[in-house]
Amino acid sequence: MIAPATDVLAPLPVAVPLLVGALLLLVGKVLPGRVPDALAIVAALAVVAIDARLAAHTTRGPLVYWMGHWQPHGEVTLGIGLVIDEAEAILAAFMALLFAASFIFAWGYFEDIRAFFHVLMLIFLAAMQGFCLTHDLFNLFVWFEVMSVTAFALTAYRLEADPLEGALNFTVTNTIGSFLILGGIALAYSLAGLLDFGALARSLAQHADDPVAVGAFCMIAAGLLIKGAAIPFHFWLADAHAVAPSPVSVIFSGAMVPLALFGLGKVYWDVFETVPPVQLLMRTLILGLGVTTAIVGGVACLRQRHLKRLLAFSTISHGGILLIGLALPGPVSLAGVLAYFIGHGLVKGALFMVAGILLATAGGIDELWLRGRGRASWPAGVAMAVAGLLLGGAPLGLMDSGSRLIGAAAAMRGEDWILIAVVLGTACTGGAVLRGAGRIFLGLGEIAGEEARGPSEVESEKPDRPLWLMMLPVTVLLLIAIGAGLFHADETILGAAARFLAWDRIASIEPVGPATAAAVPASSHPFVPWLTLGLAIFIAAHELGHAWLPRSWSRASRRVLSGPVFTAIDRTHDGAVGDYVVWILIGLALFSVSSAAALHAG
Amino acid sequence: MSFVPWATVAWLFAVGIYGVITSRHYVHLIGCLTVIQSATYITLLSVGYRFGSVAPIFHSRPPSTPAVDPVLQALVLTDIVVGATVTALLLALTLQVHKKRGTVNPERLRPMRQ
Amino acid sequence: MTRKVRLLVAALCALVSAPAIAVVIMHIPAFGRHPLPYGDAINHLAGAQRHVTNMVSAVNFDYRAFDTLGEELMLVAAVTGTLVLLRGRRGESLSDRAAQAGNRPVCERSEAVTLACRFFLPLITTFGIYVILHAQLTPGGGFQGGAIVASGTLLIYLGESYRLWRRLVRSRVLDMLEAAGALVLVLCGLGPMARGGAFLQNVLPLGQTGALLSGGLILVENAAVALAVTAGFILLLLEFLEETRATCEGKDP
Repeated sequence: MIAPATDVLAPLPVAVPLLVGALLLLVGKVLPGRVPDALAIVAALAVVAIDARLAAHTTRGPLVYWMGHWQPHGEVTLGIGLVIDEAEAILAAFMALLFAASFIFAWGYFEDIRAFFHVLMLIFLAAMQGFCLTHDLFNLFVWFEVMSVTAFALTAYRLEADPLEGALNFTVTNTIGSFLILGGIALAYSLAGLLDFGALARSLAQHADDPVAVGAFCMIAAGLLIKGAAIPFHFWLADAHAVAPSPVSVIFSGAMVPLALFGLGKVYWDVFETVPPVQLLMRTLILGLGVTTAIVGGVACLRQRHLKRLLAFSTISHGGILLIGLALPGPVSLAGVLAYFIGHGLVKGALFMVAGILLATAGGIDELWLRGRGRASWPAGVAMAVAGLLLGGAPLGLMDSGSRLIGAAAAMRGEDWILIAVVLGTACTGGAVLRGAGRIFLGLGEIAGEEARGPSEVESEKPDRPLWLMMLPVTVLLLIAIGAGLFHADETILGAAARFLAWDRIASIEPVGPATAAAVPASSHPFVPWLTLGLAIFIAAHELGHAWLPRSWSRASRRVLSGPVFTAIDRTHDGAVGDYVVWILIGLALFSVSSAAALHAG
Repeated sequence: MSFVPWATVAWLFAVGIYGVITSRHYVHLIGCLTVIQSATYITLLSVGYRFGSVAPIFHSRPPSTPAVDPVLQALVLTDIVVGATVTALLLALTLQVHKKRGTVNPERLRPMRQ
Repeated sequence: MTRKVRLLVAALCALVSAPAIAVVIMHIPAFGRHPLPYGDAINHLAGAQRHVTNMVSAVNFDYRAFDTLGEELMLVAAVTGTLVLLRGRRGESLSDRAAQAGNRPVCERSEAVTLACRFFLPLITTFGIYVILHAQLTPGGGFQGGAIVASGTLLIYLGESYRLWRRLVRSRVLDMLEAAGALVLVLCGLGPMARGGAFLQNVLPLGQTGALLSGGLILVENAAVALAVTAGFILLLLEFLEETRATCEGKDP
């Protein structure tokens, strides 16, 4: 049983940031200098501590907390419940940590508007905590909406033209996503009449072959996948993330997008797993979307020269790998998802901070324009190289644990071919980052005529923060990403995953018993990380070493790279919001066809 | 005739999406998003409706009178607030874009023209 | 894609999805005739448990108050975002002076309009406050009433002058009111925990059903929401109206 003292902590991850945010909104104007920054950092760290304590105390049983003390009335759940599992608490703690790092990075960034940045970010943090910990379907939607609205506002924070257009695309596509989720909730409610996850799951199990249940899942999944930037819903991400201020991009790529994907997993495991056609959809459609996203995201990543856009596509690709992990059943793949989530978030956060450092010190973000200009801030170069190696599959740290576990889960089901997508996506994104590091900080990779294709607008961010202050969070994040593997992370995460799957669905309506953890699986293909890393380094070296390659080779490779597939990928990402909405419709049609097939097969 | 509400929802959604896809003015596009929003309101309210019932207000009625679902009405209230806030944000964005770029045509507003 | 291609692709998608949508529509539980366990439970229990007669308010401010907390903070975030967007450009130091109308002709308001506005403004404000105060008794509540009151203040601009509107509607006060509303709502959640209850638990005395002061914590939450919504919406109106004026720097819109 959970000690009553810990009970009290359950609503605090949401309440504390909201309290501090509201206070800052009230008195922010009269607070001197950096006090809002300090308060925000303290609030984020407090949430980390609370979540860590919740995680430590939920190893023997989940914490079920009913808001307003509304216990279920017979079969009917009257209020909103929180079910806090170790896995969710760990994720929530990680996200709060990322926020704290982002606040430190943003120290002194936003001068003019009084504390508004911190208010918005704190509400953002609270929404993510709520999204992670809730056990009620509509409450999940509410926190999803709060996340969206604060994200929309934060994207447009720099008032030049490009952020506004990126924010517009972001807002329109994600708003359509929320409408879809709302429609799905309405459909699920019409069948079950209740909104608590456990009660819904129990009710939907009795409607196992009802098309309405499948329809509800499709709509909710489509809405979450829009936020999670899976193909074909991903178009908004490159526009929005690339133009948001760097501290905000850290949170977007590090936490928001993977959280939406994890939300899909949460909704699936807690509500819809009892519906067989939905199980089939997860194994086939979602898996397929994950594979496609990983590959296309990786390839598109290589084509970018705007550093933040490159990182945005890398997020898309790694999101695809997360989706693959979610689509595979069992605690091993979920453990892989958790490790990958945290590892990727740490590394991607560090990379966006490096991009912010480059914007501040060198005054640009175009990779070709920056060639050689990063030498003055060489610590950032070291960080970028390390991050590139981690992204590219280096066999140490959390990201490697994650891909290893996901690979093992795929092998256990005999679906080893999935690893090809993981290898390709990882190698392409790692290669792109390594290429960027080599070009910006070492001056390699000169391309003839690069000045003629200069950026349309020279960008910069506030240039007068000291380098050590900006490098501090970068270093901490990377150290955690590498070092967590030394602390038996694998066993902890596997245990958390097994307990989540065994308990989370029923914890609000039934008492739970002990759960057995799976053993750490042996690596099925131990050469895979080395293959990926080698491929990433090869890609980077190939792009950087054009000057030293024989003429015929570079001409042939250039002809391949301007082939129809690659130019098609470039041309579809054209920034017109009408096109993006049409792609959403294509995705919805795909869902319709697949669910019809799944219903037929069942 | 029980499919009429759902047909209405599908129609409103289609009209709204058509407007968003073919829009040439961002304020018009925001209006189309509002139309899609109305589709969600109707979906929620239709799910909660019950023939022969009254509104869930028992000020002058005994509490045992059959009433429609108050939970869904509360959800729609939340939905309306969401819609109003997002519309306000979008309109502010549109205003600023117009000031900076001089146009509000979605076709001509493309970030990262490279 | 060109417009035609988009429409073609969209039509194709609609065609492909149509069978699935039709199947779902056919299987949705019969409109108006399917069980509503959650709603029925609330309808039967809320009156006795919370001494209120408006079930929707009971759901909003008690059973599912956590949703309302999120919704309220979303409103605050959206208003904050809009303020950053609109005020940031103009600069906050200008926000207490009324800017000029540029080279747009200023129309004299006709006396009929002024009279009508002066007549309706107190009526609308009173009605709005009535809707707010009777949240737990009759249809209405903080959100609805707040929107009414906020829209009513526009009559000041419509009937009098822009100068008077700016003099009566002070953005600094509104900023604080909105923040105060959000803060009070969060404290409504944390306060009961100090007394050993759960987050957002209704621990205040419930009063008598049908009285103006019934429902316990519902009243406080409702007031907080009303405050934040009113202030937030008036702020939005203020900022958007200010956009129609020229500023000292920058071009006319």
